[in-house]
Amino acid sequence: MSYWIVQLLNAVQASMLLFLVAVGLGVVFGLMNVVNLAHGAFYAFGAYLGWTVLQATGSFPLAFLLAPALTGLPGLAVYALAVARMQRAGHLAQVIATLGLLFVSVEALRALWGDIPLEFPVPPALAGSVDILGTPYPVYRLSVVALGLAVAALLWLVLSRTIAGAMVRAAVDNVEMAAALGVRTGLLFPVVFVLGCALAGLGGVVAAPLLSVHPGMGVEVLVPALVVVVVGGLGSLQGTLVGALLVGLADTFGAVMGPQLSGAAVYALLAAVLVLRPGGLLPARS
Amino acid sequence: MRALLPAVVSVAVSVLLAGPSSAREYRVGLLLPYSGVYAALGEEIEAGFRLGLEHFGDVLGEDTVTVLKEDTEVKPPVGLVKTKKLVLQDRVDVLAGIVSSGVLAAVRDFVHSAKVPLVVANAGNVEATGPKCSRYIVRVSFSNAQIARPMGRYMAETGIRTAVAMAPDYAAGHQHVEAMQAAFESGGGRMLAATYTPFGRTQDFAPYLTQAQATGAEALFAFYAGSEAIAFIKQYAAFGLRGTLPLYAAGYLNSRLTLDAIGDAAVGSINSLHYVTTLDTPENRRFQQAFRERHGRIASEYAVQGYDAAHLIVEALARSKGDPEAFVDAAREVRFASPRGPWYIDPATNNIVQNIYIYEIVKDATGQLVEKILKVYEEERDPPNGCDLAG
Amino acid sequence: MFRLFDPLRTALALLLFGAGVLRALTGDVFALEILAETAVFAIAAMAFDLLAGFSRLVSMGHGLFVGTGAYVYAGLTVLGGLPPAAAAPAAVLGAGVAGLLVGLATVRTRDVFFLMATLAFGQMAHVFVLRSPALGGDDGLTGVPRPDLSALGVDLSDGRTFALAAVLLAALVYLLLGRLLASAFGRTLLAIGADEGRVRALGIGVARHRVAAAALSGAVAGLAGVLAACHAMYVSPGLFHWTFSGEVLTMALVGGVGSLVGPVLGAALVVELKYAVAAWTAHWGAVLGLFLVAAVWAGGDGIYGRIARAARALRRRLRPGPGGAHVRDGAGSA
Repeated sequence: MSYWIVQLLNAVQASMLLFLVAVGLGVVFGLMNVVNLAHGAFYAFGAYLGWTVLQATGSFPLAFLLAPALTGLPGLAVYALAVARMQRAGHLAQVIATLGLLFVSVEALRALWGDIPLEFPVPPALAGSVDILGTPYPVYRLSVVALGLAVAALLWLVLSRTIAGAMVRAAVDNVEMAAALGVRTGLLFPVVFVLGCALAGLGGVVAAPLLSVHPGMGVEVLVPALVVVVVGGLGSLQGTLVGALLVGLADTFGAVMGPQLSGAAVYALLAAVLVLRPGGLLPARS
Repeated sequence: MRALLPAVVSVAVSVLLAGPSSAREYRVGLLLPYSGVYAALGEEIEAGFRLGLEHFGDVLGEDTVTVLKEDTEVKPPVGLVKTKKLVLQDRVDVLAGIVSSGVLAAVRDFVHSAKVPLVVANAGNVEATGPKCSRYIVRVSFSNAQIARPMGRYMAETGIRTAVAMAPDYAAGHQHVEAMQAAFESGGGRMLAATYTPFGRTQDFAPYLTQAQATGAEALFAFYAGSEAIAFIKQYAAFGLRGTLPLYAAGYLNSRLTLDAIGDAAVGSINSLHYVTTLDTPENRRFQQAFRERHGRIASEYAVQGYDAAHLIVEALARSKGDPEAFVDAAREVRFASPRGPWYIDPATNNIVQNIYIYEIVKDATGQLVEKILKVYEEERDPPNGCDLAG
Repeated sequence: MFRLFDPLRTALALLLFGAGVLRALTGDVFALEILAETAVFAIAAMAFDLLAGFSRLVSMGHGLFVGTGAYVYAGLTVLGGLPPAAAAPAAVLGAGVAGLLVGLATVRTRDVFFLMATLAFGQMAHVFVLRSPALGGDDGLTGVPRPDLSALGVDLSDGRTFALAAVLLAALVYLLLGRLLASAFGRTLLAIGADEGRVRALGIGVARHRVAAAALSGAVAGLAGVLAACHAMYVSPGLFHWTFSGEVLTMALVGGVGSLVGPVLGAALVVELKYAVAAWTAHWGAVLGLFLVAAVWAGGDGIYGRIARAARALRRRLRPGPGGAHVRDGAGSA
């Protein structure tokens, strides 16, 4: 019994990491109708920038706070140079240009930080483990779950209870209408885009102590993040959360129950969802 | 044209210096990944290779070696195209390198029929010196089974009765686990389960680690390399398995290349590998010192593989004067005192015969992570496995 | 509508074909290798164009069809002992069936959802092949034979002959696909791409046409797979991976879809660029990436679209007739 509970925890923890990375991708899609394959790069930048801050200051809180903020800077550059001018270019052009930017980002990481993976230790304050029905479980992983849930709750509050959130929802629903009603999309779009990048950066720095910090990490996370967004239905917060949970569950329990199929479970889930519901599970727009 | 020019120049030079003492320029094609997930390995092997040329190039006297680098990425078709270029266009005398088994499998038939010697400096697939062996392909690195077999033996000898195994789901993963399992079980142990994780796509090992722990085995055998290795061992330590499920690993898991990125999580793990950085021999001290002066870090097993590949190549070139058949004969006869200890090429398979070290990662007095050797299996040799080159 | 013998398209196609033949006759060994690889990608990218350029269905799963073609061919010859002459048609057919099945499964999806669905099927196939010891797993299958055309006096084991044959095959695919797209079938596909709902309202079977196009696209990509297997004499699971599908997608979109010649141009440019840059830096990925960004900045319709627009502007300037309007403009509708 405790075995399955621990595996469920593993699944939820993986889901929360995916959620942090995917939420920006999904919101940008829903709001601006932009497919941004370069999004994975911000996840990698978050991890690397966090590492650099940690090396420079030795402070974990600073690393975790500054990494997402610093990730917003390349985010702003990408918005200004590519996304803003491609908004009306159609998905085809967006796919190519942002894929190109992703390639550039990998080489930038290699040039700046080298090919050898870097060490990002678990913060000492969260290094221990707690007993879950007789099985020790790392505190840090539990913290990741808590962080993911907190971010989801905060985003939900902002979107549903604030003026800014109402503007975002209106713009997702119908950009022209929102603009006509006085929503300044010229300001709203870059702010949301950069926040999405910062969340991916947060995902990256949070993942760093669990995984390894290496140049390919942004490419590796891209496909799972896309799967989350598409399974959930583009552009809705609930959809992204549900998508992340489903993908995390499929990946974890696929690995545990059918070792011969592990790695395929996520894609089987994606295929099944799209065959049955060609627009994802909870699309923002019908 | 670009390729022709050096050839023209070298012809001109040899005409000018005509006579018995004329210097020859040998061309060595270096096939390594400089982009993609193995880029760090490519750089490391090349660093060792260049050092080897410097240390041993004297045996060639007046003759010189020119290195032509090609990026194989991690893509077998790209590796094949680059190999054809080096052989057919650049007319290299010898090929060296190759990190991934897939690339080796892809170039094998071409190299064999072109009769150009290839000195493999990493890729460890057992077929390459087994059923698919070739007279022209000599391996100075290791075979997957050669590294894992002694570990299975060691675990059985130290009284471990049950084990579980984890490895990435590709040929090298299966070959490590199967060789370890065979040796472990013939020594009286029992493998409870072997889990193969999606290769190159697994960063979160938590589900598999939880599963391995639930088997109740006495020990865990693992084979991972590169970024997967770092994620694996950090998570292994974070789940507190060090106390309940001791880790035995093929030594790439704690390679010097990534040991700093792993940190304290590596302490206590027991590894098997063909090289240990702390070996106290004149050859190893010279090698490590020179490498550190050049690159500012400790040389890993990958650097040794490049170093020894260069050593073998210059020795065999000196004896054969570049004739491919004579080169292969020479390569199969030479014996070496290397940083990793004595080694030679097995004439039956063209695979290396070398010591395999079992060692533990410990913290020394200054807090540095170092390898403590527990046992040495000398002259570890692969069975012919369907290959017969001796006759 | 799509006109096969549109002057601009035909001029560019002849130019590319001429360059290919010239290169096959005069190139060095490395150039021949690159040329054969270009032909593989050109055929795969044309297959991609059939869906993307006409029905607006952008696939991230063409590696599935290329891989199926390559593996059926390799499996039947290496494991089954069949002669290449029998294995090649079977491989094309097999890839066509794969296209049919994927087309059926994705028939209700559009846009990014179609892209993701094809990606899912491709990745599942990749995992399957990777985990099939019979198919060589990660190491793939070696010893794949090339067809024996010695009866015709053609020796395909010779690199130059093979490269020339690859160029001719790509040209043949171009002509056949062009012929097909200029027919009523092609017009229907274009109409589906423009407005699926209206086509449906006209009582034309949208699903039927989409599935047929997917099957055809799969078969053509399968042919590219057979060519790839013959070229390398080796197959590996990497063909199925999404990054390979991404390469095909990139080449076709950079060149300009909906023109059939654009993807060929894109394949030639990207393959050449990759090897040329890789010769002087290990960071060739960055150069390729910047090239992709630049290609989009040049205009969303790829290099062919750019050329077509420039040609139109030139024509207008050369013939400033009264009113200046030229209604009949072949390139504009492609």
